[in-house]
Amino acid sequence: MKRVVVTGIGVISPVGTGKSAFWTALLAGKSGIGPVTAFDSTNYAAHIGGEVRDFDSTCHVRQQRPEQMGRASQMAIGAARLAIEDSAIALDSILRRRIGVSMGTTSGEPLFVEHYNDALKQSGDDAVDPQWMALYPCHVIPTHVAMEFNLHGPSIMIPTACAAGNYAIGYAYDLIRTGRADVMLAGGADAFSRIPYMGFARLGAIAPERCQPFDKNRKGMVPGEGSGMLVLEPLDAAVGRGAHVYAEVLGYGVSCDAHHMTAAHPQADGAIRAMTAAMKDSGVGTGDIDYISAHGTGTPTNDRIESLAVRTLFGERAPKVPMSSIKSMLGHTMGAASAIEAAACALALDTGWIPPTINHEEPDPECGLDIVPNQARQTNPRIVLNNAYAFGGNNASLCLGRYA
Amino acid sequence: MTPRIVVTGAGVISPLGAGIEAFADALWSGKSAVAPSTRFPGSTIAEFGDFNPTPWLGNKGVRVLDRGTRFLCVAAQMALYSTGLLQDAASDGDPGLGLVCGTMFGGVHSIAMFDWSGLVEGPSMVSPMEFPNTVINAPAGQAAIKHKLRGVNSTICAGLASGLHAIQYAADFLRFGRARHLMAGGMEEVCDEAALGFSKLGIASPTGCVRPFGMDRDGAAAGEGSALWMLETEETAEAGSMPPWFEVCGFGTANDASPEGAEAAIQQALEETAIGPGEIGCIIASANGSRADALESRALRCVFGHHLETIPVSAPKAAIGEAMGASGAFCAVTAGLALQRQQAPPTAGFIATDSGLRLSSEPQPFQGEYALINAFSCDGNNAALVIRRWKS
Repeated sequence: MKRVVVTGIGVISPVGTGKSAFWTALLAGKSGIGPVTAFDSTNYAAHIGGEVRDFDSTCHVRQQRPEQMGRASQMAIGAARLAIEDSAIALDSILRRRIGVSMGTTSGEPLFVEHYNDALKQSGDDAVDPQWMALYPCHVIPTHVAMEFNLHGPSIMIPTACAAGNYAIGYAYDLIRTGRADVMLAGGADAFSRIPYMGFARLGAIAPERCQPFDKNRKGMVPGEGSGMLVLEPLDAAVGRGAHVYAEVLGYGVSCDAHHMTAAHPQADGAIRAMTAAMKDSGVGTGDIDYISAHGTGTPTNDRIESLAVRTLFGERAPKVPMSSIKSMLGHTMGAASAIEAAACALALDTGWIPPTINHEEPDPECGLDIVPNQARQTNPRIVLNNAYAFGGNNASLCLGRYA
Repeated sequence: MTPRIVVTGAGVISPLGAGIEAFADALWSGKSAVAPSTRFPGSTIAEFGDFNPTPWLGNKGVRVLDRGTRFLCVAAQMALYSTGLLQDAASDGDPGLGLVCGTMFGGVHSIAMFDWSGLVEGPSMVSPMEFPNTVINAPAGQAAIKHKLRGVNSTICAGLASGLHAIQYAADFLRFGRARHLMAGGMEEVCDEAALGFSKLGIASPTGCVRPFGMDRDGAAAGEGSALWMLETEETAEAGSMPPWFEVCGFGTANDASPEGAEAAIQQALEETAIGPGEIGCIIASANGSRADALESRALRCVFGHHLETIPVSAPKAAIGEAMGASGAFCAVTAGLALQRQQAPPTAGFIATDSGLRLSSEPQPFQGEYALINAFSCDGNNAALVIRRWKS
């Protein structure tokens, strides 16, 4: 089996575009959350979101026409372009059939469902875009990325909702370590849409003003959007071309609660099994984990259950392992979230700094962990765990290590 | 040594009938389910018609499941039952048992209806009960709850190749020891949105006669249903005393809309199996009656050359329509049955072809141990899989 490393990072996020802007904002504790502008939120029970406000699709989509694809595809291409540039990899030097794309999403291209319904409501069937079927299904996102960069290897979408990024990076890791691909672009993308927003608002899950994961007075999550893409390649190839190695993918684990579509298992069964499987796959134990990138959405239940999972698994050591949620700054970028968080993990391993959980005022004794409140911290982590949990009880934890 | 992956059971709910026997009997008798739709007047579709899942699933918790999810849950029930792995409702469920579902549209009808309700009645009037069905992984997640599947639960989207990708994904998870038993295949429902999309895109046959590779072909018909295999390693199959049905061998994929894409996928599947084209006994084609069939016949001619004179080819989409994310899985199940019977099934309604392929409206016997399954999309999502009659 080959060792697999991260050599390129591309991020399109509510706190900035590109690795540097993203990382500087996170370490400064900057929030990207603001009033919803994607649609009129007057009639909704909530009004804030983590939107990407500085994205110009024409800068990134160059080989195809951006207006002929959805926003998730555009952002995915943008993040992929940034990741490829960041890795300084010469794609032309590699067989196109050996370069693939593995992605995750929650909603795919939901704006086309909105357009479909808007057209139907206004003027009936005839008004529906004839290309609707070609534009909407979520596999078009990796397909658009593959077409933009002329990549002919495996292309796959794993839409396991809010844990999808970890699933996608994990599968890309499997493809590379077994020699099925030489380079993989892996990550996730989701576009801001009224559909999930409406659902979360109806459930009363959206915070009114800000996102406060693990705070005693946390009031909910904040829907967001964005894309995170990583360049993964075998360690020997990366070293051979003198690439900068951000991190090594050590392994991952997935599980299913099989309990409830939206509520986490009360004893955190699936979350515990995903973390356990990820550590086993990586050949590490709880004593080796230096930092946990929490799923940490900011809803009262999710943060409590995730804390329970970490305390159950890590025992006495749990409060000593820093665990932060960058969703406090980005909001929940859905299927992109765990991919963007994996990018943050790789940067934490690379720079030695871990990002904070902002908006923290009062510790929640039911959580009881070190959530790196409000201030970034230099801890030089060696091995980190990236947690992600989703609707459908789909859990995934990814383990990354420092390469030195 | 990489463990060998075997198939020990299957679940099929298709427009040809419920259960693998009904599917096989109808397919081998040359029947086609492609017919004028009762649900979408004016469309020709391979549909299940009124679908009542209660004989399989009971009544509890079924109401909130959309049509596609019901297909998936029933196929899973059949696959679990056929392998003795049905979970006791009172048990915790086996953490090594999971599901990998390929799909193209997922629960798009649930998603569109949820949005429609917000649009018409206002965002505060949408049903919180319907919201969970608006994620693309909802069908697989619901099936996990229904059948207590605590292991890997993934949803895979790769266009018309989704079903084969899901099988490969599951096979890899078993090879790496990430699960013990995985159901894998696909699910699709023909709903308003899919039916309208299909007809608007101009790929639906205006005459309603689906003739894959036919000289007079004029389009495809949408199809629906769910097909799943139960996959496990040779070792667990032996330990669990489930006789393997056949083995999952090499897989190939290429994201390439040019004619070389399909060819590369087939080549890779053969290379990974370490066999030459002459060893393939029969080919279960992806052809659905659209113009794109020519890409597949060209790829087959490039890879197989003169071997095509003796290798029978069958195109089941003549009978089951283009079931999109489920079609690869339907073709995979067809290939398994073909190996078992040593006969390629008829291509329903076949008259004539200029493709150079050996198609027939009758079953075609063959000798070989291997079958090739193709799943190609004109948007470049191509996959091919080789399976082998079981030999320990």
